[in-house]
This record gives sequence, structure tokens and C-alpha cells, in this order.
Amino acid sequence: MKNKELQEEELIVEKKLPVIALVGMPNSGKTTLFNALTGANYKTSNYPGSTVEYSSGQLSEKYNSEAEILDTPGIISLNPSSIDEQIAIEGLFNHPKFGTPDAVIVTCDVTQLSRQLFLVKQIVDSGFRTVVALTMNDILQRKDLSVNSEILENIIGCPVVKINASEKTGLNELIQAVVSEFNRKPEQYVHKPLIPAEDEISRIYDFTEETEIEVLEPFKNKRDIDELNRKLFGNLHREPDRNSLKIDKYVLHPVLGTLIFIISMGLIFTSIFWIAQPLMDIVDNFFSLVAETVSNYLPENKWYSDLISEGIITGLGAVMIFVPQIMILFILLGLLEDTGYLARAAMLIDKPLSKLGLNGRSFIPMLSGYACAIPAIMAARTISNRRERLLTIMIIPLMSCSARLPVYALLLAYLTPPGNPWIPGLALGALYLLSLIISSLVAGIISKFRRNTEKSTFMLELPPYRLPVLKNILKSAYYKAGLYIKQAGPVIIIISIVLWALTYFPETRPQLSGNNQNDEIAIESSRLNNSYAAMIGKTVLEPILRPLGWDWRVGVALISAFAAREVFVSAMAITFSITENTEDEENFQSSILQSMKEAKNSEGTPLFTTASVISLIIYFMFAMQCLSTVAVSRKETASWKIPLFQILLYSFLAYVSALLVYNGLKFIGIN
Amino acid sequence: MNIGETAVISSVGDDCIDIHCHCLRLMELGFTPGQKVKVIAKSPFRDPLAVSIRGTIIALRRNEAECIKISENK
Repeated sequence: MKNKELQEEELIVEKKLPVIALVGMPNSGKTTLFNALTGANYKTSNYPGSTVEYSSGQLSEKYNSEAEILDTPGIISLNPSSIDEQIAIEGLFNHPKFGTPDAVIVTCDVTQLSRQLFLVKQIVDSGFRTVVALTMNDILQRKDLSVNSEILENIIGCPVVKINASEKTGLNELIQAVVSEFNRKPEQYVHKPLIPAEDEISRIYDFTEETEIEVLEPFKNKRDIDELNRKLFGNLHREPDRNSLKIDKYVLHPVLGTLIFIISMGLIFTSIFWIAQPLMDIVDNFFSLVAETVSNYLPENKWYSDLISEGIITGLGAVMIFVPQIMILFILLGLLEDTGYLARAAMLIDKPLSKLGLNGRSFIPMLSGYACAIPAIMAARTISNRRERLLTIMIIPLMSCSARLPVYALLLAYLTPPGNPWIPGLALGALYLLSLIISSLVAGIISKFRRNTEKSTFMLELPPYRLPVLKNILKSAYYKAGLYIKQAGPVIIIISIVLWALTYFPETRPQLSGNNQNDEIAIESSRLNNSYAAMIGKTVLEPILRPLGWDWRVGVALISAFAAREVFVSAMAITFSITENTEDEENFQSSILQSMKEAKNSEGTPLFTTASVISLIIYFMFAMQCLSTVAVSRKETASWKIPLFQILLYSFLAYVSALLVYNGLKFIGIN
Repeated sequence: MNIGETAVISSVGDDCIDIHCHCLRLMELGFTPGQKVKVIAKSPFRDPLAVSIRGTIIALRRNEAECIKISENK
């Protein structure tokens, strides 16, 4: 309630300010300009009911004017060719929060004038109060060319200002031009253009080409104008950036390019896997320490003490543990995107992925899925085609994430005799490969069944190579992490409190002294074995799990593992009441293995056989055993459709394949 | 077209009957008749292609590039 009031208040304040919308083609320097105008003090939101983002922020004080700056997604033209573009263009004409902007700044990359003026022309013709911001002037000067902005102003009919947003030149002039436009009464109402026919596009291009020839002039008279004109008609101004062409000779080379691709992707993978690990351990240890310290100060033997220390603080820890990976992945993604490599990497790997109904841009999210599905699903934002983005998000939970590793390690250790570490190693490799095959199959099958409503396209500009601005990348990674904490965090905390309650209540307190560690574990074990989770396990899960070769205790561990897959290991330790004598991990694992070997089912035969353990492994390969992923999937797709489909499909696949494997193995005599 | 080859566009999407065709988008991207195009690179699977047009480089899938007809090789 309070929040809503605040929002309304905010809305009133913002309504008073004039709104300036930034429009431009992708890579035209729009975001750099936005950062310079707002002083990188902005917030990013989604258009209602979609995942299309826009940023807004107030004009920085140093420009001596007040205005709200609205950054819109990069567009090619005002004629949308996808649902997301349609949302972005609708948002420009009639923004859900800001309405029709009072003025529009169009960024225009002067190194490709004839192309970029296309959008400028469309915006001006739509009746907006328009100011054109010419970007990349320094790059054009390297070709000894420059734009005569006065001539351009006359031709196009609106103010034109040259800027350099990273060196912050021309920005005051730009804002002054916009402010004086506010007072101008527009000659026509703002209206959306009709979808242009082919000859209409040609007509606009004829105009932009003529304009280009008129406004380009030699830079500082370095060259004779005649010589330059000859060069102009030799299309000097329509050549891509020469340095980029040189670099592309290597980066897009069939052999070298592939090598560079493999190395860079390998680096990304290892850093989200290995660099994040120590940071995640720090987060983990920090929250265990806080939970321990807090529980020391709270009254003993009260349910709310346990709720705070085990439900809430552990839940907070479950949220924060993903932050290092999210930050690292988004810093790396930002570096790749801003240098211009991301588009090229997408091009190199597009072909095989397009066969599965995916896109070259699906590759990094899929790769990240091997570390953790949560940052991976968030990284799918870079896929511009909605269908392909949803399909990528759909299959990410099948990637063998790092949380499965402890589970596989335990189960594989049970299956293989000690002393042969290469056997479980090999098996682990096979599991990774299998998860890749399965996810490809699922993607292929889903894309076969769901016919294209939005035809798959690639058409991606390969921007010139540039040095990235680290500050902006860090800022955006920080923002992504904050967004995750704010939006997925509460859901994850609620889920972990519910799971805590299920495994804690009804409260039974066995009268044990509770002084030494063994007794504490016995209390915990008896509490879990009498909890609602155990009741569900005994009455609901036992009959369901019996055909897979498991009993209710495995079921309880599986319920606990919905918080995170790796919880399965510690939950197994509790359900089978393992006494943890030392902190030594090796002993801990061997004592779990020992109790697993001794565990009997209700008929008195061993519970964990080769067949039932393999069926558990197979179950974990498919199962959507991570409610944090569900929460993020819900947030990133802006609907429950995908997460529900994921839960239903993957639970079904997990159950059926575990069932088939268990009974198949028993049938051929492996027990 | 091979890597490094230059040609001039003669028409875009003349043979297309599919209403979902991307010819309009291709034209909006700058692939209009009369423009010079040059193949900069091909991905290891020979698809997509990187094509230079109007001062920039655009990666296109082969089936998209097929909408663009070229008249002469230089």
C-alpha cells in the first residue's frame, strides 16, 4: 500500500518535467549519450507485461535544465518486425508511464550517414520535435571527412548538433537545442507512419543518399575537394571502419576465428565456474556465521529462533549465493558486447543452434547454464527474438549446473569402488555430454511442435570494435544483480521459509540433553523424520517413489532439495541420521555412503542398489529441482507459462526416465 | 559470392511470395537496389555471412541473403 502511494507520488513529480526520448539505431552511441546526460543515475524498467527494457533518469544538474530522459531500445526503423520492436515503438509514441515525449533526440552515426538518416527522416516525418545528435564524428575525421551540420539542418528541417558523449563535448548545445524546441509549436500532430512499401523505403533512401553527398565535406580542407569528390563517389564514406575490417580478418577467419571463439568461451565458462566459487564460499560462510551468531542470542528451543536462523537467514543466503556468478557473468557479457565481439561470436555459432530453433546468441546463456541456471536465464536477455529467447530459457534448467555436482559426486562414489577416481570422473563427463544432448533434443522437439508465429531472423549488425567503458559495464552488472535480489529474492526467501516449515513442524522435541554434537544431530534427524515433509513423504511420495526404487526418506531429501539441488546431500545425511563426527569432508561422505549401504527398505532388502542409485542420477538430470530457477524464469519471461511448463515437463521426464532406467536395469539383471 | 567479392544489388525480394518475408527489413537495413555489397567473412559453417553495406557490417543467414539479388560482380 505504502509502496503504491510512493509510486503515484513519483508519477506526479515526473509528469511535471518535460520528457526527452532518446531514439537511435543499435550501436549508434545512444546509451553512451544517455549515461552522459543522466550522469549514469537512472533506473531501468520493463514495459508492462513484457521483458523489453527501457531506462529513465533525470537530466543531470550540470545542464541547467530539468527534464526526464527516456532511453528507448535501439530500433532500425519505425516499422516493427518483431513483438519486442513493436512494444518499443508503441512505447515511443505513447509511453505507458511518460506518454508522448515532448522532444526526441535521435542519435545518428555519421560514419554510416545514408543508413542512419533513414530513422532520422522517419522520426521527423512522424511529427516529433526532433533534435539530431551526430555521433562518431572523430571516426569520420579519420577518413578526412566531416559533416556540415548547418546544411544538414536545412535539409532535414530540425536542429543538428555534433556531440562526443564520452568526452562530453557538444552536450550543452544539444540540451539547449532541445529546450528551445520545447517552445516550438509542432506543425503537425505526432502520428505513426504507415508500414512503408518497398518503393517508399527506396524513396527515403534516395533522400538520405542525396543528403549524404550534400553534407559531407573534407575535414579541415586537408584534401583537394575534387580529389575528395572522386573518392566520395568511389564510396569512401560507405566503407566500414578499417581497423575493424583488419581485426575481423582474424576474428572471423574460419580457423583462427573458431579458435578465438573456443578460447574466449572457455575463459567465460571457467571464470563463472572457478572464480565465482571462492566468492560463493565466502557468501555461504558469512551467512552460516550470521545464522550461528544470531541463534546464540535468541532463546533456545523456541520455534521462532529456528525460523529466524534457519528459515530466514538461510533463505537470504540462498538468494545472495548467486550474486557473485551473476556479477561475473554480466561483467564478461558487458565486455563482450561493448567491444563488439558478442555479435561476432553469435554469428560464428548461429548455424548449428538455428537447426534447434535457437539463435547464435543462445550460446552464452546455454554455456552459463553449466555453472548456474539463474545467471544463465538472466543472460538470455541478449537474444532479441522473443521465441528464441523463451526457448533458450526453457532448456537452460537441463544444463548440468554446478549444484548437481555434489549430488552426482555422492551418488557416483556410491556406485564405483574406491581407488578408481577416473571412473566417476569419466561418468561425470558423460553426464555433462548427455545433458547437452538432451537439451538439444528438447529444444529441437519443442521448436518442431510450435510453428513459427514470429519468423526466426538473424540479421545482426557487427559493430566496429571499440574499447569498453568499464564503469558502465560495472554499473549495469551491479544493476542486474540488484534486480535479481529485488525481484527473485522475495520468492526464494518465501520458498525457503515454506520448505523450512515443512521440514520443522509439527514441533517435536525429543528429550535429549542436546549437549554434544551427536545428540544435536539425533534431534534434527528425529524432527525431520516426524515433520510434515516426512508425512508427505510417507503417505504421498512413498507409493509414487516405490516404482523408482526409493523410499520416503529419499522423498524428504528431494523435497528439501527444492531449495537447491546440493541440499540433497545434507538432507540425506539428516534423514539417514548420520553422525557427523568430524568436520572432515571425506569422513562425512564416507559416513553417508556407509549409512546408504546399510539402509533397508520396508521389506528389509537394501534400499540403495545400483539400479536405484542410477535412477536417482537420471532423475536429477531432468528434474526442475530448484525453486530459485522457477522464480527467475517467472520474472524473466513475465508470465507463469514457461516456468509451469518447465516444472510439468521436466518432472514428467525425470520421473518417467528414472522409472524406465530402474526397471530396465532390474530387468537385465543389474540390481 | 566468395569472401572479398564485391557486387551491386539489382533487386531485393522480387521472387518472394511469403508474406512473412524479411525483404522489407533487409531494405530498411540498407540493402536497396544499386548499393554495393561486399562479403567480409563467412562463419565456419558457411552460414551466416558478414556483408558490408553502407558503412557497416551486417551478418545475415544464407536464406535471408538469398532475397538479395546481385547484378554484376566486380
